[in-house]
Amino acid sequence: MGRNLRLENLTKQFGMLVAVDHVNLEIEEGEFICFLGPSGCGKTTVLRMITGFETVTKGKILFDGKVINDLTPKKREFGIVFQSYALFPNMTVEENIAFGLKVRKMSKKDIAERVDQMLDLIGLRDWRNLYPAQLSGGQQQRVALVRALAPNPQVLLLDEPLSALDAKIRVRLRAEIKRLQQELKKTMIYVTHDQEEALSIADRVVVMEAGQFRQVGKPIEIYQCPNSSFVADFVGTSNFFKGARSENRVNTGSREFIISQRGDLIKEDVYLAIRPEKIEVFKYEDPPNHLERSNIVPGRIDVVTFLGAAVRLTINIGGEELISDIIEKEFTQRQLKQGDEVLLYFPPEAFIVYPVPVKEGSS
Amino acid sequence: MNRTEKIQGHTISAPISSDRWLTGITMGFLLAVLIFFMLYPVYDICKLSFYRGKVLTLEHYISYFTNPRMFRSLTNSLVVSCVTTVITTVLAFFFAYGLTRTTIRGKGIFYTISTLPLIAPSIIQGLALILLFGKNGLITRYLFHTDWNIYGAAGIIIAECLYCFPNALFILYTTLSAVDTRLDEAAQSLGATALKTFYKVTLPSAKYGIASAAALTFNLTITDFGVPVVIGGNYSVLATEIYQQVIGMQRFNLGATISVILLIPSVAAFLLNYYLTKKSYALISGQARPFLQPSRPFKKWAFTIYCWIPCIFILIVFATVFLGSFVKVWPYDFSLTLKHYDFPSLGGVAPVWTKFWASILKGEWQSIIAYKYAPIWNSLWVSILVAIGGASLTLLAGYIVEKKKPKGAQFLYTLSVLPAAIPGIVMGLGYILAFNKPYFFIYGTFWIVIINIIICNFTLGVLSSIANLKQIDKSIEEAAVSLGADPITTFTRVVFPLTKTAFLSNMTFFFMRSMTTISAVIFLVSAKVKLAAIEIVFLDIDGRTASANAMCTIIILIVIGMLVAMRLITGKTALKGMSAT
Repeated sequence: MGRNLRLENLTKQFGMLVAVDHVNLEIEEGEFICFLGPSGCGKTTVLRMITGFETVTKGKILFDGKVINDLTPKKREFGIVFQSYALFPNMTVEENIAFGLKVRKMSKKDIAERVDQMLDLIGLRDWRNLYPAQLSGGQQQRVALVRALAPNPQVLLLDEPLSALDAKIRVRLRAEIKRLQQELKKTMIYVTHDQEEALSIADRVVVMEAGQFRQVGKPIEIYQCPNSSFVADFVGTSNFFKGARSENRVNTGSREFIISQRGDLIKEDVYLAIRPEKIEVFKYEDPPNHLERSNIVPGRIDVVTFLGAAVRLTINIGGEELISDIIEKEFTQRQLKQGDEVLLYFPPEAFIVYPVPVKEGSS
Repeated sequence: MNRTEKIQGHTISAPISSDRWLTGITMGFLLAVLIFFMLYPVYDICKLSFYRGKVLTLEHYISYFTNPRMFRSLTNSLVVSCVTTVITTVLAFFFAYGLTRTTIRGKGIFYTISTLPLIAPSIIQGLALILLFGKNGLITRYLFHTDWNIYGAAGIIIAECLYCFPNALFILYTTLSAVDTRLDEAAQSLGATALKTFYKVTLPSAKYGIASAAALTFNLTITDFGVPVVIGGNYSVLATEIYQQVIGMQRFNLGATISVILLIPSVAAFLLNYYLTKKSYALISGQARPFLQPSRPFKKWAFTIYCWIPCIFILIVFATVFLGSFVKVWPYDFSLTLKHYDFPSLGGVAPVWTKFWASILKGEWQSIIAYKYAPIWNSLWVSILVAIGGASLTLLAGYIVEKKKPKGAQFLYTLSVLPAAIPGIVMGLGYILAFNKPYFFIYGTFWIVIINIIICNFTLGVLSSIANLKQIDKSIEEAAVSLGADPITTFTRVVFPLTKTAFLSNMTFFFMRSMTTISAVIFLVSAKVKLAAIEIVFLDIDGRTASANAMCTIIILIVIGMLVAMRLITGKTALKGMSAT
């Protein structure tokens, strides 16, 4: 067991508002954890409690087996990367990186060595004498990253570090952060509202909603087996049907789907979720054979949106709208276009079934 | 990685962080300073006005209100202040309109000239008007041979209008440049005439700014001492009446009573201004202003001429006083001389400076520069200390209020903005009452003067510090702390460098106020402690008008020197946004 970070019943209240509600998590040394959730879900508050900039209302934060609730941010020696970069505008790149080392009273020689090492990590050696204002957003965030890493923090916390950057740089920098993390084997805690970012970068993802952890798991688990309709909806895109299940059949009122999951005999209200890329689309004149007949539904293509490699179709089935993503090659081969009458096939194993939450079911 | 193991080091649990300690101590210190040097003197004044000996009484108020000669000072003050407020607000509004809503040329020149009154003591307006329209005025006596003169209400009003103009203008300029001009364009595109647009759109959208400028003008006029003391003649106002009662007749009880009476309109105007400023800022949209359409030629001409009028008046004031200090006998003998700069022996010494000049100068120069100029060196020395002390204290107060926000920060904020509500003359009297005690060793020294000036101008210093600190992202400080910096390092290495420009402009503000202030410190000067701005009053009272002009000119030159120096250091015009609140 290394220097683990543990959250025990961690709770934060702002007046009457419960921002973080009794959350528990064990983060292992060297792990890359992502907190993912919509804005206002409490993910940043969890991060700020870990950094020490926010006090803990209830519960414990343990690091290396010791409670650190009352430790000042300075004493925790956790590095932080901010959304706004927060580079010191009055200092050069070099001075920014050296700041944390200087306040630790390291020798000049050691500082110079460490700064070089850090600049090499991000390939910005030539920029050392520039001021932050002379750098692009992406470069600034790279500097901020190594500035936080320079004093060799025990844990690196990143608060939506890429949100202020444009899409291309975001993807590039995200890969760079991942590479650094694997190279340095540093524990990193990363907060984001961008699910693609979370899924691509983290060892484990924590999906948050309303101050609670809804699901904790590897990215692939979160995507393939979301444990609630919230997670299914928030992570990736999902089509939902509400219906009543008996055994492996779900009646949605207008149609009946066969699902591969078997439940009890008792009739219960459920949600069916299916990812857009799991739905198959065929021309009406060209019906598929050998497929489960009851899972084939006729519809009409309302909108065609090119996403690049994939094509997103908004399809109308008897007044309901659903989304289907097919790869561009298939779209061209099948000669689909807007207004086409089509047949949709929902593979039984692609459905994920959730019980309707009690609150909602009773209404 | 071996070396960095050392960095990880040990973790020590700190039950109370040093940060909170430091914040608490600093806040405690600031609160103590403000309570002791602001609230306590005011409390003493209130107490004195209600007591005879140890007996609670209303007799001082009764004697004030039943004595028509004294009571007149209240009605006079109100009349003068109201008239000044109306004239100044209207004049400044159209001036600001010209600068923000038309495409006239020379906006920079207009703005610069209109801010000139800020660099001189308010008394300069009075001196200039007397030279032009007084008993021996250039225009009244020399040109028209009339016996009419400007002493009294008319003189006070004209002088106060000039003095308050830049202060009102600053508020209106901010308001009008912030209000979205697209509203005007929208109204006109919907078919409204220019006049209708003005009445229905422009004016209402600037209403809080207008009211705020009016409240500030009222406050400045009713609390001013420099103008009425030289040009008021027998027309007494509250501020001069306080001085008369205390210095002329040693009636401290009545002085205190009139002070309390003066406090009421002054505090009311301050609160109104404060409330309206908040409202006004809420109306300001953050959107970029679209390009201003070119004004029609007639509008351009009309506003160009209009804007020149106050500017010419202001230039005449400065030119008159400047010229008045160099001519032999105004207005009869205009041959030039430097003799008025050889002041009569004013007494007083400037401890370090006198020694310094005496050691390097000889003969007549020694007596002039080392001894007769002592009040000037004193003012300079006091102003430098006020600049450093004032800018530092207000930065600390702003930092605690805006960034640290400990318990009680709101109280500190309230105390910090309160000094603007208290007239300088009242504060000065309060200092005599509170601190003229044998055990209070700094009374009668320069230190009490320095403290007084800092406290009297605390409000604007704190407000501008807060405005500046607001622009620093919270994350920047957190970044410093998370990298291991202690609170002092964070402040000195990160926060302070980022506020340096604002700090320097705050220093300029305090320096300027300190060089030019009269009302507060007139009670605190003595035979030993002399200040240049106060000497203007005394020289004028002694009938040495030309020397008063000379002293005024020297003060202006020193202030200009400071402004030029600051401009060289910061590369920015330091005068912008520096009107008194």
